[in-house]
Amino acid sequence: MISETLALTFRALKKWVRNPASVMPGLFTAMFYLFLFGNSFNPTALLSQSTGASTSLPTSFGGAPTYITYLTSGVICVILVFNMAFGGIDLVLDRQLGYLNSLLTAPIPRAAIFLSGVAQNLVKVLILAVLTFVVALFIPNGLKLPGSFSIISFLGVFLAFVLLGLGLSFIFTALALTVRSIDSLVAIVNFLTLPIMFMSNTFFPASSFPSWLMDIANVNPVTKANDAARLLIVNGSLSSSQLATYGWDVAYLTVFASLLGMLGYLAARRALRPE
Amino acid sequence: MRKVTRVSAIIDAKDLTKVYGGKVKAVDHITFHVTEGEIFGFLGPNGAGKTTTIKMLNTLASITDGTATVAGHDVKKDPGAVRKSIGVVPQELTADDELSGTENMMLMAKLHQVNGTTAKTRIANLLRLVDLEEAAGRKVKTFSGGMRRRLQLVMGLLHEPKVLFLDEPTLGLDVQTRSRMWHYIKALNKDRGLTVFMTTHYLDEADSLCDRIAIVDHGAIRVSGSPSELKEAHGGDIVTLTLSNETADLTPFFSGIEGVQGVTREGNTYRIKLPKTERALPAIVAGVVQKGVGISEISFSKPTLDQVFLDVVGRSMRDEEAPESDSAWENIRMERTR
Repeated sequence: MISETLALTFRALKKWVRNPASVMPGLFTAMFYLFLFGNSFNPTALLSQSTGASTSLPTSFGGAPTYITYLTSGVICVILVFNMAFGGIDLVLDRQLGYLNSLLTAPIPRAAIFLSGVAQNLVKVLILAVLTFVVALFIPNGLKLPGSFSIISFLGVFLAFVLLGLGLSFIFTALALTVRSIDSLVAIVNFLTLPIMFMSNTFFPASSFPSWLMDIANVNPVTKANDAARLLIVNGSLSSSQLATYGWDVAYLTVFASLLGMLGYLAARRALRPE
Repeated sequence: MRKVTRVSAIIDAKDLTKVYGGKVKAVDHITFHVTEGEIFGFLGPNGAGKTTTIKMLNTLASITDGTATVAGHDVKKDPGAVRKSIGVVPQELTADDELSGTENMMLMAKLHQVNGTTAKTRIANLLRLVDLEEAAGRKVKTFSGGMRRRLQLVMGLLHEPKVLFLDEPTLGLDVQTRSRMWHYIKALNKDRGLTVFMTTHYLDEADSLCDRIAIVDHGAIRVSGSPSELKEAHGGDIVTLTLSNETADLTPFFSGIEGVQGVTREGNTYRIKLPKTERALPAIVAGVVQKGVGISEISFSKPTLDQVFLDVVGRSMRDEEAPESDSAWENIRMERTR
């Protein structure tokens, strides 16, 4: 099963790399969010205007030195959610053009078709996420990392994103294999993606939300991924209590990815049954 | 005529039935078998149930009722073993546009667990077989419709299957390219002993390629046999004979010759219907000469499958409408054939 999954994943990635037009929009979206939204929405300046004195970001921003430092993790989550959701379009196209049927008549496990869909989206999105993280460092007044931020911190940040991405990829790949048209997929993901983003601490701390929204945001895996990533982005190395918080967030994301993995696999198996 | 025995049946379908959504009966209790090494064709109009039958046999569609075995494996119980034994060339052009011909072949080889030197050797041989060795390095999006069809044909053969399913293998191709495809299919069948199960709605294709055909309509097999058997049974040859001088009516004489099925006369010209011209023609000519009558013109025409189709189905294949392109995706698919 592994060789078939790899073969199908490499096929998709080869096509992706050969077509820069399919890579650039995701990167541009990230840049626009970071550079334009990150600079135009400036909580520090707003607070200074109301108090008349210069101030730093409120503590609810987790100690981030700049808003873009806080926002970088959120923008990576935006990329994860949107690219996972719309990444399924290629799979719907494969079905509509008959490619999926040629896979279904080959002696390959159904799971390989599902897992290659998951893997290709995950790899594409993680490459965009790493690029976004690097570019954020070079934006004026952008991402500022503490001196203690190490390669381990970087891997810790991306562990949270990988788990979130994995869960999202499981469920959106299953969705793409289930629907029969791109219109249906776009309608469903448009309905889902904005609430997922806005009912989380992607752009603002959840502590400023009304209580009903805060309750939802606190169980949203996107919030957990942001919390875990921001803890490392802001602090670099973690104290034992911070490490416990990080550990709980990662455990939560692991359970989330595992549940959606099972759910996605069952849905995909159903979608790939003979007609 | 090829002798068909149940023992050598590589495809055996009994009462095969497919009902979609509990209402639409696409295939209705069809029973047939395909002998190892033959080219067997399902001939019928659009919507007759040809593609649904192929989908049931290649495990893409579930079987509502009945049984089928392919290469000795039960399609319902052991679909995995069936998939290992078959090659499938679908109606749609599914080779990946963004990959080269060779890359498409390599991917198919990997998916069928054909690796290393074996894969490379088979790919080179198959590309040579369909005259694509020079173009194979190019991206498929630069291929013509005929080249895509040829590539697709050999993509289904990398694992050396026992049975090749071809669903409308020349759909959308021009006459010249179709004839080339026929040449390749015949070569695969003859040189490699590959059993081919194909669907087509082209009468000339079925006539030229198939050892045996089944005419299907409304999900049921109306008649089956070799093209010549069917033409003999449902068509018959027509001999047109023009005499050089006025004589008495020779209709009773012609009707009395063994095998003659009907005679019509128009002046000195007689149209004689008979199952096999080659057998009765000497007797006709000898009889006319014996009566001292000269023959100014003689010709005969072989029956066509269209006559058979008309006889069996009750309407001509030519009356059938082309499939409707009812979606944007259908248009994209057709675009890829040009």
